[in-house]
Amino acid sequence: MSKMRKLGALVTSFAVGGTLAACGAGGPGEAGGAITDDKIVLGVITDLSGVYSELAGENAVEAVRMAVEDFQAKHGDDAVTDTIEVISADHQNQPEIANTKAREMYDREGADAIFDVPTSSAALAVAGVAEQNQKLFFDIGAGTTELTGAQCNPYTYHYGYDTYMLAQGTGTTVTEQGSENWYIIYPDYAFGQDMNKSFVNAVEGAGGTVVQSDATPFPNDNFSTFMTKAPGLDPKPDVLGTMQAGGDLVNVVKQYNEFGLREKGIDLAVGLMFETDIASIGVEPLAGTLFTTAWFWNLDDRSREWADKFKERTGSRPTFDHAANYSAATQYLEAVQRAETDDADAVNEELNGLEFDDFFARNATLREGDHNLEHDSYLVEVKQPDEVEEDFDFTKLVETIPAAEAFMPVEDSGCEMG
Amino acid sequence: MITARLLQGGGALRWTLLVVGLVVALALPWFVYPPIATDMIAWALFAVALDLLLGYTGLLSFGHAAFWGSSAYATGLVAIHTGMPFYVAVLAGALVAAALAVPIAYLSVRRTGIYFAMVTLAFAQLIYFVANQWRSVTGGENGLQGIPRNLFGLDLSDGFYFYYAALPVILLGLFAAWRIVHSPFGRVIIAIRENPARARALGYSVDRYKILVFVLSAFLAGVAGGVYAIGHGFASLQEVYWTTSGKVVVMTVLGGMGTLWGAVVGAGIIVQLEDYLATAGIDANGIVTGAIFAITVLLFRKGIWGTVAQLLGRRRRDDRDAEPGPVRPATTTEEHADAR
Repeated sequence: MSKMRKLGALVTSFAVGGTLAACGAGGPGEAGGAITDDKIVLGVITDLSGVYSELAGENAVEAVRMAVEDFQAKHGDDAVTDTIEVISADHQNQPEIANTKAREMYDREGADAIFDVPTSSAALAVAGVAEQNQKLFFDIGAGTTELTGAQCNPYTYHYGYDTYMLAQGTGTTVTEQGSENWYIIYPDYAFGQDMNKSFVNAVEGAGGTVVQSDATPFPNDNFSTFMTKAPGLDPKPDVLGTMQAGGDLVNVVKQYNEFGLREKGIDLAVGLMFETDIASIGVEPLAGTLFTTAWFWNLDDRSREWADKFKERTGSRPTFDHAANYSAATQYLEAVQRAETDDADAVNEELNGLEFDDFFARNATLREGDHNLEHDSYLVEVKQPDEVEEDFDFTKLVETIPAAEAFMPVEDSGCEMG
Repeated sequence: MITARLLQGGGALRWTLLVVGLVVALALPWFVYPPIATDMIAWALFAVALDLLLGYTGLLSFGHAAFWGSSAYATGLVAIHTGMPFYVAVLAGALVAAALAVPIAYLSVRRTGIYFAMVTLAFAQLIYFVANQWRSVTGGENGLQGIPRNLFGLDLSDGFYFYYAALPVILLGLFAAWRIVHSPFGRVIIAIRENPARARALGYSVDRYKILVFVLSAFLAGVAGGVYAIGHGFASLQEVYWTTSGKVVVMTVLGGMGTLWGAVVGAGIIVQLEDYLATAGIDANGIVTGAIFAITVLLFRKGIWGTVAQLLGRRRRDDRDAEPGPVRPATTTEEHADAR
C-alpha cells in the first residue's frame, strides 16, 4: 500500500518535473531586442581527441575564447552583455554525436551559435539542427561544398574554405604559370571525387590538360603503380596533383620522393594540406610543393601579430582553422552588438551580405546567395629546409587569389535559401 | 539466465523487474536528455538483437553494423522519398536488413568461432564499401541527410515526443526477442550453443536454426537502426563502419551475455558514457571506455547484469534455504543455468 503511494508520488513528481522542463525550454527566438538569459553562449563542436585535434581541436576552442576576450576588451561597459560563455564538445568525428551535441547546445545550454565542426558528415548533420532550431552555425573545419550547395540553409555559414576553392586556387594558378599537363590521383570517396572534379574543371578552364586522373583505393599504403606510371604518360605531365589527405598523403609524398619524380620534371601539388601535416611529414620531402590555403600565419604583419598572441597563449602557431574560428566568433559578436540582440534572425540580417576585412578574411563578403564566406585565398609553396626560421614557418606566398575568383560563383552553387 | 530462473522461481521478482523496467523506460526522457534517451533504447534493441546470436546461439557476429546500417539507409530513403509514417519506413528498413542477412547468414554459419566473426566482419566491410561508393544513393561520406520524422502530420521535432513515438517500436522489438528466447525455438538454439553435435544427433538442422536466428537478429538490429536514423535525421557511414559492430559487442558483453536485460543495461551505460565524455574535457574517451570494459570483463565475468542477477538469485536461495523443507539438489545445475 505505502509502496503504491510512493510510486504514485514518484510518477507525479516526474510529470511535474517534465512539465516544468518543457516550460523552461521556451520557444525559439522571441524577436525584438534583449539577450536571452542575459548572456551569449558560443558553442564549439570539434574533434578534441582524434585525427583533426591538432589542426582544429582544443586550440580552436581557445581561439573562440580569445575572440570573446578581445570583444569584451574592445567594448567594455558598452558591450551588449557582460556574460559571454564558451562551451565545447568533442564529436569524436562521429556525425551522430555532433548532431546530438548541437541539439543539446541549442536547446539546453542556450547556445546562440556553434562553430568549427570538422568532418563533412558531421558538419552537414549540425547544419540540419541549426536550420531546425533556427540558430546560427558557422562551419569552419569541414570542406564540403554541399553546405553552401544543395543542403544550404539560412542559418548556416561556411566560413573559410571548401573543396572548390582549394582546387580553383591550385589548379588554375599552377596551370596559368605554365604547368599545363596534369596527372591527378585521388582517394575514391566523396571528398576525393569532388576534389578531382573541381581540379579537372579548374585546370581545363585555365587552358591546361588533365592527361589522366586515377582513383586510388582508400586507405592505401602503396602508390607505386601510380608513381611508375606518371613519367610514362603521353604527354608527360608537368604536375602530379594528389588529393590524398592524412596518412595517405604521407605515403604519396614519401613515394613521390622515392621514385624521384621531381628530378624527372614532375612537380607535386597537394589538394588540401595544413601546417600540422607538414610538421608530421617534414619540410624536406615536401619542399617546393604547391597548395592552396585560406590563410597562413606568416602572411603579413597583421597575421603575425595575431599569431604571436595565439602562440603566447597556446604555445603553438595557429592553423587557418584556428584563425577562422577567431574571425567567425568576432564577426558574430560584432553582429550581435550591432543588432543589440542575440535573436538569430536579427543577427542574421546583420551578417547576411556583410562586407568586412580582418586579419584572417581579406576583402571578405558573407554572400547572401549561399552563405559562403568569400575572401582572398593563397597559393603557397612549402619552403626549402634552410629557409625555415622557426617551427611552423613552413610556407611562402606564391600568389594571392582575389576573393572574387577564389570561390564558386553563387549562381553555380545550386543553393536555394528556404 | 535470470529470466529462466524467474520463470521457475517466484513470479514476483520477475514482475517487479518488468514493472521497474517499464517505469524506467517511460520516465527516461525526464532524467536523460531526450535524444540521448532515444539513442539508448535504439542501441538497447541492437544489443539485444546481437545477444540472440552471441549469448543464446554462441555465435559472435562482428558484422552487425551491416544490418543496423543498411536499415538506417533504407529507412532514410523510404522516409525521404515516400513520406510515409516512420513506422513503415523502419519496417521497410528492417526487412531490407533481414533480406541482406539471408545470404550472409547462409555463407557465414558454415564456420564457427573466430572464423565466423571474421566472415561476418568481411561481409560488413563489403556493405561499408558499397555505402561509401554508391554516392548517388547514400551520399558517400557526407551521409544521407535530411531524413524526416513523419507520423500522420504530428510534430515530432521535439526529441521528447519523438521518444514516446519510438518507444513502442523498441518495446515490440524487445518483446519479440523475449518471445524468441522463451519459445521452443529458443530452447533449440540454446541447445545448439551448448552442444551442436548433440543437437544434430537429436534431429535438429543446426545450420538452418542458425540461419533463422541470424536473420531474426538482423531484422531486430534493422528495427533499431531505422529508429536511430529517424531519431538523428540522417544516416552516415559510421552506421556501417566496423567500430559500430564493435561497440554493440562491447555493450552486450559489458551488460552480460545471454541475459537480454544485460544488453539493455550495457547499451544504456555505453551511450551515457559516450555522451558524458564528449563534454567532460578528457581527450581520452577511448581509454576510459576501454578501461571500464577491461575491468568488467576481468572482475565480473558475467557482465554487470549477470553479476547482479547472480547476487539476487543467491539471496533468494538463502531465503529459501532458511525455510524448512526438502533439501534442494546441489547448486551445480543452478550455476549452469546462470551461465546461460
